[in-house]
Amino acid sequence: MRAYLSAFRMRRKMELQYRGAVLGGVICQVFFGLILVAIYRAMYTGKPQEIPLSHITSYVWLQQAFFRMLLASDPELTDKIRTGSIAYDLCRPLDLYGFYYVRIMAQKMTGSLLRAVPMLVFAFLLPEGWGLMLPASAAGFAWSVAGLFLGLLCVCALENITMGFTMRTLDARGMQALLNLLMMILAGNILPLTLFPDSWQRVITLLPYAQLLDAPIRLYTGDTPPSSAPGILLIQGIWVLLLTGVGILFWRANQKRLEIQGG
Amino acid sequence: MDTIRLYLHSMRMLIRSQLQYPISFFLQTLAQLVMEGGEMLAVILLVDRFEHLNQWGAGDLYFFFGLMSVTFYLTECFGRGITGNFPYLVRTGQLDTFLVRPRGVLTQVMCSAVDPRRITCIAVGGAALIIGSGMAAIEWTAAKVLLMAEAILCGSILILGLFMIEAIFCIYSVKSIELVNALTYGGRSACEYPIDTYPRPLRVLFTVFAPFALTLHVPGAWILGKPLFGWPEWAVWVSPVSGIVFFWVIWGCFQKAMRHYRSTGS
Amino acid sequence: MSYICVRDLEKRFVIREKRKKGALLREKKTVRALQEVSFDVDQGELLGYIGPNGAGKSTTVKILSGILTPDGGEVTVGGRVPWQERKEHVRQIGVVFGQRTQLWWDVPIRDSYDLLKDIYRISPEDYRTRLAELTEALQLGDLMRTPLRQLSLGQRMRAELCGSLLHRPELLFLDEPTIGLDAVSKLGLREFLQWENKQQGTTILLTTHDMEDIVALCPRVMVLGHGQKLFDGSLAALLGRYDTIRTVTVSYEEAEAAPELPSGIPVSREGKNLTITYSPDEYATAEMIARLQAAGTVRELTVQPQNIDRLVAAMYREMDL
Repeated sequence: MRAYLSAFRMRRKMELQYRGAVLGGVICQVFFGLILVAIYRAMYTGKPQEIPLSHITSYVWLQQAFFRMLLASDPELTDKIRTGSIAYDLCRPLDLYGFYYVRIMAQKMTGSLLRAVPMLVFAFLLPEGWGLMLPASAAGFAWSVAGLFLGLLCVCALENITMGFTMRTLDARGMQALLNLLMMILAGNILPLTLFPDSWQRVITLLPYAQLLDAPIRLYTGDTPPSSAPGILLIQGIWVLLLTGVGILFWRANQKRLEIQGG
Repeated sequence: MDTIRLYLHSMRMLIRSQLQYPISFFLQTLAQLVMEGGEMLAVILLVDRFEHLNQWGAGDLYFFFGLMSVTFYLTECFGRGITGNFPYLVRTGQLDTFLVRPRGVLTQVMCSAVDPRRITCIAVGGAALIIGSGMAAIEWTAAKVLLMAEAILCGSILILGLFMIEAIFCIYSVKSIELVNALTYGGRSACEYPIDTYPRPLRVLFTVFAPFALTLHVPGAWILGKPLFGWPEWAVWVSPVSGIVFFWVIWGCFQKAMRHYRSTGS
Repeated sequence: MSYICVRDLEKRFVIREKRKKGALLREKKTVRALQEVSFDVDQGELLGYIGPNGAGKSTTVKILSGILTPDGGEVTVGGRVPWQERKEHVRQIGVVFGQRTQLWWDVPIRDSYDLLKDIYRISPEDYRTRLAELTEALQLGDLMRTPLRQLSLGQRMRAELCGSLLHRPELLFLDEPTIGLDAVSKLGLREFLQWENKQQGTTILLTTHDMEDIVALCPRVMVLGHGQKLFDGSLAALLGRYDTIRTVTVSYEEAEAAPELPSGIPVSREGKNLTITYSPDEYATAEMIARLQAAGTVRELTVQPQNIDRLVAAMYREMDL
């Protein structure tokens, strides 16, 4: 257990070293957020919707703030697999899946918190109708934090499955790009899932990608009332278990192959 | 003429070398399709929910989306040397190889890469243009076709200029990729929708500083029969030239900056 | 006026240091990469350019080839200022950077040459004859259809040379051409460079760390250190200054042979073998050999001048590099 903790800490330290790069990323993300908000505002003036504008703008900002959680593959890990130096890790007395899982989690968590805090502060300070609203209720906020954590577990499990594909084919850039794009669309980054046609939403919100950010954001804005929060968290939890299980089995199979090939 | 032949020769060779990895190539082309398809889907879903944006109806919005998409990805496809390679060449000092050859730097950078994977994005954009043109019931005339060609060409040159900014920053080893991305990819995302969607500061940014509105939206709106800003017809033909002016200014800056080129990385 | 004419060349680089704790801005430091460097080269010369890492060799080559703009001084190559008339200038030069390729990675090298033909606007007839000539001299015949990425380091260097000589440049710059090559490739490469220099009259300027290259190729050598020119002349003259140690190794038939030597000369013994070192300024080599022979039956005897790399190291040390 201690080994995983120190792997987590090491990766977090590495991520913190790139503080200089954070500022540029935050400015870029804020800019994209402003553009999206401007588009939805213009749309709303023509035909207001049932769901309030402030919910949509909050959705946009929360998506932008935690963007790094969705899309942050660790080039060092993929390189390790491609160059075959993963063989060193195979020799460690650790479960490879768990070892990589904590590294990915450290990177996603540190990277996104580092960016999210300044961005959310900025979004709070924006005028009414542009920025981030306060959470709908204290209970809703608490539920959404729990939901965000489950979302993090989900996305790490998903990333590890992608990593498994890289292990199998060595150069999985095409595959990775494809899965990442699917995630961007189905996680609500390109268009808030709350603006998808209502009939689609019933299906999309059940898919694993919606568990990452969409579910916690809806709890935050109150689109999902706190009373139905336990149900949402249950769905998230099921996906975490399912995706982690699939990942572990996938990695086991890959590892066997690697060992047979002799690294 | 000679330069064009050199460009075509380079393209042939580059495409041949990319096809050496067919599976990766195919999957990446597919990924491009999903990406642009996703963007298109977002517009379709928004139109489905909101029906119109200011005075623009569904057909108009598809048309603007298609215009930007075709322009941007044609540039990324054929100008990949500038949109993708240029900063890398400067940062690693690989530009040296080009500097010791008796050809223009810009020619050689343009000849250094092509990105045929973008063909699927261009196709999506083309489809949006056709659908939009049909829904908005555009009556095509020779003048309109010519104006659209001018808009796409000038828009491409503008985009090349925007990407070149990063190469300039690289000469001074300033890390700026995100900030430049805000202008390039941010400009693309923003200007998929007509300029009057935005509040004043963004309108100024994309009209004066990175003039997507002048190169794409002014001619596009005229083709749709809803002229922007109430400008007369001659202005519609002049306004895209701003893209060329923009490129020319940036290119001048680049040449000035080259005096400080350090050729690091050897 | 000589072919290459360099006067008081200056180049400065501004280096941004890592931000110190608490400081808002990074500190800047100016490094003078070249200081008042002057030299002339005539057409057809083969000139070696040596100096420790960071001495300014590459900077000089990059200025001469029009890549960098200097901060002061004058340079003309064949009457042209490289960075001002870049295109006309580079038509007349060829450049090989040891660590960097100018050919295309994934295509057969012949295809790269075809593209270079278009880039340099070489006429088809001239291209054909020149390519045939270089193919033979560099033994590239079997490799023409092979992509660059599949060539060995030695083959790749030959391919690079061919690429940079297709347009018959008057002047060839080589930046560490033998780095990482095996013995056979090195010898072949040196032979080719001599051939090109004699047959085509190509002026060659070579930077290297491999002193064997200089010994084999360059009648004239220039030493650069801390951005300043420290020496310009023949290799023999350069070494004469620092060649201060001889090593003699003798094998005797008898195990107990003990020659009488002047005191202060270090002797090391290993069975029947004896090694001594001395300075030729203090003692004549003939005298030393006579003393050694007097002590017993000599089976074998070798006299070695100092190892050339050590000589250069000693030279750099003395020049405080």
